Amino acid sequence: MDKNLTEQQTHELSVIGIQKRFGTYQALSDVSFTVTPGEILGLIGPNGSGKSTLLECITGLLPVESGTIKWQGRQLSVENRKHVLWYQPDNILPFAEQQVTTTLSFFQHIHGQGRMDIDQLINRLELSPMLEKPLKALSKGYRRRVLLAIALLSRQPLLMLDEPFDGFDLRQSLAVMDLLRDCRANRTMILSIHQLTEAEKICDRFLLLDQGRVLAIGTLDELRKQTGLSSNATLEEVFLAIT
Amino acid sequence: MPLLEPPKKYQLARLVLIQEIRGLLVSPALWIMLIIVSLLVGYSFFQAVDLFSQASRTALSFPEMASGMNPLEGIFVPTFGAYYLSQTLLLPFVAIRLIGLDKQSGALKLLLQLPLSTLSLCGLKITAIGLVWLISLLPAALALILWHNLGGHIYPPEIAILVAGHGLYSLTVISIAMFASTISDSLPTAAMFCLAVTLGSWVLDFAASGQSGFLGTLGNLSLTGMLRQFENGLLSTAYVASFLSLALFFFLLTAIWLHPGQRLFLKIGKSFAGLLVLCIVVSSTVLAPQYMDVTENQRHSFNPADSRALQTLNKPLTITINLDPQDSRLLDLEQDVLAKLRRSVPKLNVTYAQIKSAGLFSASENDNYGLIQYEYGGRHDQSYSNSQNEILPIIYNLVGLQVVPDSMPTYRGHPLAIEATGSRWLFYIFLPLLFFCAAVYGRKGKW
Repeated sequence: MDKNLTEQQTHELSVIGIQKRFGTYQALSDVSFTVTPGEILGLIGPNGSGKSTLLECITGLLPVESGTIKWQGRQLSVENRKHVLWYQPDNILPFAEQQVTTTLSFFQHIHGQGRMDIDQLINRLELSPMLEKPLKALSKGYRRRVLLAIALLSRQPLLMLDEPFDGFDLRQSLAVMDLLRDCRANRTMILSIHQLTEAEKICDRFLLLDQGRVLAIGTLDELRKQTGLSSNATLEEVFLAIT
Repeated sequence: MPLLEPPKKYQLARLVLIQEIRGLLVSPALWIMLIIVSLLVGYSFFQAVDLFSQASRTALSFPEMASGMNPLEGIFVPTFGAYYLSQTLLLPFVAIRLIGLDKQSGALKLLLQLPLSTLSLCGLKITAIGLVWLISLLPAALALILWHNLGGHIYPPEIAILVAGHGLYSLTVISIAMFASTISDSLPTAAMFCLAVTLGSWVLDFAASGQSGFLGTLGNLSLTGMLRQFENGLLSTAYVASFLSLALFFFLLTAIWLHPGQRLFLKIGKSFAGLLVLCIVVSSTVLAPQYMDVTENQRHSFNPADSRALQTLNKPLTITINLDPQDSRLLDLEQDVLAKLRRSVPKLNVTYAQIKSAGLFSASENDNYGLIQYEYGGRHDQSYSNSQNEILPIIYNLVGLQVVPDSMPTYRGHPLAIEATGSRWLFYIFLPLLFFCAAVYGRKGKW
């Protein structure tokens, strides 16, 4: 079988040799990995490890020194990435002075008939009481839910979320995980997460990043084997062993 | 999974445009600006009407003075002066939000992921503020209606060019503000950058007023100086092109520098290419300008017969002026004669002799002081007059032309002595209240 065809079938996204510098600081060094269709890949790493920078480089919001992004085996220009992936940054407050319903409606119309029904999304995220309020008037938890709703309204096949569980309590995090699992059937996801407990519960594979370098990549079992830890070792223990 | 088809561009553009307009309408800065504009326009209008009425009372007794009573200079330019203030000092604060707020809130990172080019995104943003800017014309429209109802005269071409001038000035300020917010990390820095340009232009124009030479030329090319041409009722392709090129240049710079994903050297290269195009466009229009005098009394033009005759001069006409640049006679000569000659004579050389006035009561160091010398085809003449009624015959005599002026209707002016105090509430209460209610509605995020 043709090697390229095999790659096309098994790898949805290929990130090859990404290098990014801010002045003299090397933010990303030769970062390479692949993501398979329907997979949830967790980007794990301490603060400042380069998770958000990597996501912005993949999106094209930051220029890279070198590296290639491929989609189903074909190289993706920055312009074409807009059709393939949607990146939801952390700590943003878009159109904060407008009512939540207006902002959600804008993104719903922008994406056309999305993968998720907006009413269903509002119900699952319990946003109904907040629809008439401006985004800036909401609590941190509700703001995160609105941002998640905006992300899930997108229709690109690859969804990249930066810290999707930040600001949620345990019950809310579990509800969001359920929602994301429901979406995984028709979407591939990359989640940048620093809470390892949440990451362990939802991600299929993990990419451990530290100081802009890929330390390890694989399923939890594969990482346990790499580090020589027992089969009941948690992701936290694996992470500590690797770093 | 197959790649998704991008949404239709025009639908996307319409949605983003509506969202941008909505973003401006919920901004308190816009409504505060509109409230201030209402108060300023009202104040300027009623002051102008009072002064115009006082002058008209005299003019109505002495008809020969009535020809000086034209509403453009007496009413509309002062009324629109309020817009100059708001466009210079307040509009930048509204315009920087277009990009600055999106950058600050992170909305820009989402907008840049939409299948729209940065050029289209910037175009939609500037269209949105352009449409919202039209709301700011409401007080001026009210002033025009009021003036008309009071029996005042309106000459539409004069109003059109005045509005066009302020529109171009606003467009340029908006483009500068957008660029400032693109390259600045915070809204206050962007505001300072933009105000530095608009206020700097104001100061430059003030410093250059009454000056000739390089400073005078620079003053004419300042934003304020260019706007004044429109206020004078003289439409010039050079000034229209300069305004448009400047606005387009800063707009292109915004589009080039907005996307954080572009490499620095690419941005610098594209910016220089934009600058080159700007220089070519401006120099080509400044070197061969076309003019249209839209004033009702055609005060920027000679009699059509004179204009036609002067356009036939195929040899260089040289005028040497022995006047101090600060001398008021030179200023009158510049405005009443030289400016018109520059627009009519194909090859005109004006030379300013290096000469200083010794003051009103002192003897001049140079016996030629005040003398204006003319040379055409080897023939010479001279005069102390700065009036076109004496200068044109001198030129025709040198050229050997006999010009019979076309018969033109005499401009009798539009004096009007009225009281307009009863309508002050429209500008001081009604409009501010209307804009305040809109602001409160917007604060609830309801637009």
